[in-house]
Amino acid sequence: MTLIRLIGGRILLSLLTLLIVSALIFWILEVLPGDVASRIMGRDATPETLALLRAKLHLNDPAITRYLRWLGGMATGDFGTALTSSRPIVQILEPRIFNTVLLAGYAFLLYLPMALIPALIQAVRRDRPTDHALSAVTLVLLSMPDFLIATLLLVTFVVTVPLLPAISLVDQSSTALEYFRAMTLPAVTLAVVMAVYAVRMLRDNLIEVLSSDYVRMAELKGLSRRKVLLRHALPNALVPTLNITALNLAYLIGGVVVVEKVFSYPGFGSLLVDSLQLRDLPLIEATVLIAAAVYIAANLLADIGAILLNPRLRAS
Amino acid sequence: MTLSAAPGLTQARLPSWRRILRRAPVSFHIGAAILIVHAAVAVLGPWLAPYGISQMGTGIPLSGMSWAHPFGVDQLGRDIFSRVIHGSHIVLLLALSGTGLGVAIGSVIGLLSGYVGGWIDNIVQRLLEAVISIPFLVLALLAIAAAGPQLAGSPLLVVLVVALVYAPRVARMARAAAIEIATRDFVTVARLRGEGAWSVMRREILPNASSVLLVEFALRAGYAPVLIGSLGFLGFGMRPPTPEWGLMMAENRALIIISPITVIGPGLALASLVVGLNLFTDGLARLIGRTAPRNQA
Repeated sequence: MTLIRLIGGRILLSLLTLLIVSALIFWILEVLPGDVASRIMGRDATPETLALLRAKLHLNDPAITRYLRWLGGMATGDFGTALTSSRPIVQILEPRIFNTVLLAGYAFLLYLPMALIPALIQAVRRDRPTDHALSAVTLVLLSMPDFLIATLLLVTFVVTVPLLPAISLVDQSSTALEYFRAMTLPAVTLAVVMAVYAVRMLRDNLIEVLSSDYVRMAELKGLSRRKVLLRHALPNALVPTLNITALNLAYLIGGVVVVEKVFSYPGFGSLLVDSLQLRDLPLIEATVLIAAAVYIAANLLADIGAILLNPRLRAS
Repeated sequence: MTLSAAPGLTQARLPSWRRILRRAPVSFHIGAAILIVHAAVAVLGPWLAPYGISQMGTGIPLSGMSWAHPFGVDQLGRDIFSRVIHGSHIVLLLALSGTGLGVAIGSVIGLLSGYVGGWIDNIVQRLLEAVISIPFLVLALLAIAAAGPQLAGSPLLVVLVVALVYAPRVARMARAAAIEIATRDFVTVARLRGEGAWSVMRREILPNASSVLLVEFALRAGYAPVLIGSLGFLGFGMRPPTPEWGLMMAENRALIIISPITVIGPGLALASLVVGLNLFTDGLARLIGRTAPRNQA
């Protein structure tokens, strides 16, 4: 009972947050002092074009009417029409989101071994040179902005050893192999950034678990080292890492913005940057709200996971 | 538990700074050394740099790495190494002032909200959580788009955006600290003396939360150069010909195939600054007795 109430409460709270975010986005973009139409048009504005744009965006209606209309549209899946291309936003979003989900999935597959293997090596070789060396590498990578990691990969695998394409342009006509080649460098970049954050925590968790009584018990029973490590220690060390995985998912939403732009990959992140560059108001509102919604959902899932994994809450 | 240790710590600090420094972990010293080099370059930049900030014709464009041009020469013939040095103080000033402003605003909001509690705290909490739910880079880009073309490219906008991204995150930490401190006797005494919320916050809670806020500042400052660099790299930060490192990477990226070092050079400068800040923060947090929370924003 308590469990259902707790989870239900978390879901309601997330929905409330999403509602506030939508109001915030709308307020920042449309209600802040200064004329929206002239902000969009910049220097090319003439009184006639400004009046046209105002009519097109219904800027003459009161702000609250516009907000409710926009919110109602978003809730029913009608995202409006993009200013620059005059196409329905849903149509623009669809292939972009598909590409980004594909990229994120690929990155996550690479992320798991990239985080697990160094952490396992470090935990087993604790306080030995290998451990220190890997710690130093992690720290340096941790301090590198994602666009630098992307650039270094680009220089290595495109300029020095020409294996992969520098520009990751794909469309519906691309074959699976083309997709794979296009996605590899962006996916590796995202995976490295995510793995670096997880390795440290996973190493510390593993060391803690390895010195626990049940692991010593398993060792005393004569189980092989590999078995103790993989069957007994690893699963228990993974639980606290759940949180960092949710954080990483949240990073991914911002990370794709930079990484997709570096490799010109036509995904959701580069759409967001393009819409901001073109000052396409309806498209900005839609993409930012979706980014926030994914972030909120990721945090909600992490919270629910934590509630379900907490034995004290499960028992009651 | 950190807070109860705080008075003892201030006493230990009184005898001499040397004693604290001897206790500091190695990472603190290495980090501090890297930061001193960066600060020196930032201050002495104009005298250290072999060429001028926008001096053209310093060498053969895109000729790559050489002793005369360690970071190469861009297509306009400008020496990238000199530009990186000239840009050093810009990056440092933007990062420190943005972080400082964000920590100041966030501290006031968080400490007050945590101390006052009740429905005000509830509303503030919901608002902060909503702002944090917009991924920080997206929030920064959104704010820049909202500011419009007049402000675009101004250092003030970059500082304000860094502050906007950090303030709610700092406020969350400050609020947690304030709630812990608010239960202690000296706060109750101050309230019974009839002091208002602002004065209790400033005179009782803030001094006791200072170690938390100091680590928070160091932690945020460590990421600020990356955020500023990301904005520059995406074309939303400083404008050319400012020698901001992220922007320089973007400028030279089109010709990366011919001369990779002109892109990597400014990136290495940025990474070394962040390594220094991270090591320093790590050491500082351990010195004060807090484990440094790590997150990406």
